[in-house]
Amino acid sequence: MHHAYIDKFAYQDSPIHRLDGRVKFIVALTFTAVVVSLPRTSLSILTCYAVGPFTILVLGRIPLRFAFKHILLVCPFILVLALTCPLYDRTPVNVAFGLFLWQTSLGWMRCFTILGKFIVTMLALIALVSTTRFSNLLTGLHKLGVPKLLIIQLGFLYRYIFILIDSAHHILRARDGRKLTNLGFTAELKIAAAMLGSLLIRSIDSAERINIAMQARGFEGKWRSISKLKFRRCDLLFTLSAASFLFGLHFFIKPILL
Amino acid sequence: MHMANELLSVPIATGTLAIAAAGLAFICKKARQFIASDKFPLMGILGAFVFAAQMVNFQLPAMPGTSGHMVGAVLLAIILGPHLGAIVISSVVIIQCLIFQDGGLLALGCNIINMAIIPSYIGYFLYKSFTIGPFSSLRTYIGAMMACVIAIEAGAILVPIEAALSGVLVVPFSTFLITMLGVHFLVGFAEGLITLAVLGYLQQVRPDIVVDSLQGKVRLSRNAVFITLAVFTVVIGAGLSLVASGMPDGLEWSYAERPDQPDFKPIVSNVEPTVSAVDDFQTRYTPMPDYSIRTSKLGETNEKEQEIKTSAGWTSFAGVAGSGLTMLFIWMIVSFLRKKKSLEA
Amino acid sequence: MSKAIEIENFSYEYPDGTLALCNICLNVEHSQRLALIGPNGAGKSTLLLAMAGFVKGTGKVFIDGLQINKKNFKKIRTLLGSCLENPDDQLFMPTLFDDVAFGPLNMGIEAEKVKKRVTEALKTVGLEGMADKAPHHLSAGQKRAAAIATILSMAPKIITLDEPDGSLDPRNRKNLIKLLAALPQTLIIATCDMNFAATIADRTVLLDEGYIIADDDVKKIMSDSKLMTEHGLEVPTQFKNGNYHNFKS
Repeated sequence: MHHAYIDKFAYQDSPIHRLDGRVKFIVALTFTAVVVSLPRTSLSILTCYAVGPFTILVLGRIPLRFAFKHILLVCPFILVLALTCPLYDRTPVNVAFGLFLWQTSLGWMRCFTILGKFIVTMLALIALVSTTRFSNLLTGLHKLGVPKLLIIQLGFLYRYIFILIDSAHHILRARDGRKLTNLGFTAELKIAAAMLGSLLIRSIDSAERINIAMQARGFEGKWRSISKLKFRRCDLLFTLSAASFLFGLHFFIKPILL
Repeated sequence: MHMANELLSVPIATGTLAIAAAGLAFICKKARQFIASDKFPLMGILGAFVFAAQMVNFQLPAMPGTSGHMVGAVLLAIILGPHLGAIVISSVVIIQCLIFQDGGLLALGCNIINMAIIPSYIGYFLYKSFTIGPFSSLRTYIGAMMACVIAIEAGAILVPIEAALSGVLVVPFSTFLITMLGVHFLVGFAEGLITLAVLGYLQQVRPDIVVDSLQGKVRLSRNAVFITLAVFTVVIGAGLSLVASGMPDGLEWSYAERPDQPDFKPIVSNVEPTVSAVDDFQTRYTPMPDYSIRTSKLGETNEKEQEIKTSAGWTSFAGVAGSGLTMLFIWMIVSFLRKKKSLEA
Repeated sequence: MSKAIEIENFSYEYPDGTLALCNICLNVEHSQRLALIGPNGAGKSTLLLAMAGFVKGTGKVFIDGLQINKKNFKKIRTLLGSCLENPDDQLFMPTLFDDVAFGPLNMGIEAEKVKKRVTEALKTVGLEGMADKAPHHLSAGQKRAAAIATILSMAPKIITLDEPDGSLDPRNRKNLIKLLAALPQTLIIATCDMNFAATIADRTVLLDEGYIIADDDVKKIMSDSKLMTEHGLEVPTQFKNGNYHNFKS
């Protein structure tokens, strides 16, 4: 997967993509909070909650393979933490699922609950960012009170990450093409420093040129932009259905399952 | 050290989110007063530089097979000053969450505090306080090293604390703390080395960039590196063993009784009132979990207990199966509608 | 009537003391298409920056009769638009729309009119309907066109372009030529590609080591193979035949 296309799905079109960025952000945040606060004792309720992000992903035409590949990519830290649970908590428990009844330890249950919650909240996050263009998300965040300076900063950052990652790839390839053996620590460090230094200088020079480009188009320090956000009827509909999904699960399904 | 959602409870997550938001709002307001318009692109592109820098790996000394990469918080704080540095690194953390899904949405507040705000300010002030006065290569060396190691450790220390406050820790607190400190000592050490090396390079090639912070020549000698490594290891090792011995084994956030030690009583059981309130709430409203703590040996379960468990098993099965069917149904409807639409078009 | 650009005895030194531009005198008429040619490091980019007022040297520069100084700086921006060499420097906003709207918004134009201008500018460069795209999802040719659109939306009288043909494949270059040929504005184009310069321009200025070496009709300069090779350039294919004999004898 080419990194510049990490957000390619955000540029598709679907009813979900057309929703207001603010609404989607708040719904994703609330959903995450609800899932995280679920008791540590139930795995099956997590599958019920997974229906939410799953529906958004399917409606937004985001391939599930993409989502799961991504989760796999970011999971190592939480995986290590989850796998330490069985080591520390060996309280034996009985598990019943359908016809089956078996015995395991509380640590393993915790481990799977943590991983399950991780997968469900990650699905929600992926559903949010792959159905919302970053620029829309930024305007939404600004409307929600994030300081302008930070929004401008995020905009620039988003624009230039991909270019700089590309140049880093290029100089890495240039190094690996010529460096045939391990040169020892001092030399290696010097090479890495020279690479980073030249990358930094290149970045600073290009910041100067961008500065000229901005001034050439009349920029004097005041940041102006046109807001394209509008809260429409479908946003209201989405909010209501998300709310009723969460309420329904909390008040009707959860008491049965727990 | 990206924090995940699952390491936090909702009160702690929202609390840190609020603190991070207020902190950032304050810093932005402060920065607005002195920021020149030509700093906008510079900040943006230096943030992007951090992403690129993380890809350039290098061999660590005395540890074959391991490689380090740059985090950049201290370097940016030295170049841009602590306020702008904190804003840039915060934006990096936000993008890592929103574009690369590194770190959870709910944990964003914690991550901003641990990885951006704390390292930027601590790093900057440590570096500045060591390098004040006439230039000396040794002082710059010590300053940058201290700044990087302590700034990163300060952020890393917060991870187990936040997790412990949330009451989700299964691993003993001291073990988690020591692991985090140990790993991030290495990260900080590598960061110090590469920060110094980059500063040295910049000074040679483009002294104008670091003109305010460096007047003389930075030199990196092999011996100095090994001496620092040794000193830090001794200091940190001693400190950690003190911390470890000062913490009784019982600082496990234990929820249940330990069957191996019948008279074990949790010494610290969720002191935080909000946490225990949440726990209370959860236990009160969870009469029938998927699993139950075993009261008797397997095979000796009495009939009534068995019955309850079987019924619990069937409810959870129904929950999973129902959810699965719902998802399948949604998927089928959507793909059917899509097919119909593409046929019509 | 005032000329589009008047430069009188302009000289500029780099901060390290190297001479970048020396005693430049240049007049450009309205709606002229001028190709600025010369080898790498001749001072082409610096001269373009000087026309936009980003390089302060000795001598005077007038844009549409208005002398460049601090007071006029903002007015100059609406008269002359400069497009940088690298489109990645020119396009710095998260979406194409924001980028093209950036200039007009800074000019203080109201939102509705800005939207109209953006649509028109994107249509002119052939990027209709791509307003919501992110620049890193555009191809090299599209980026180039988008960079020109960011200038067009400000509706300047004069446009300077620095190596607009750099790293474009033949098809994209053809599209660019078509686009530039249709623009009514005064164009100052710096380029190293003689075929491109010969196709697009009606006047050529040859610059080397900070000096203006020649300033004349395109055909006259470009078919002078001695002059061209002396300054590290080549005669474009369309002028080669006429000079073939001279060169041999």
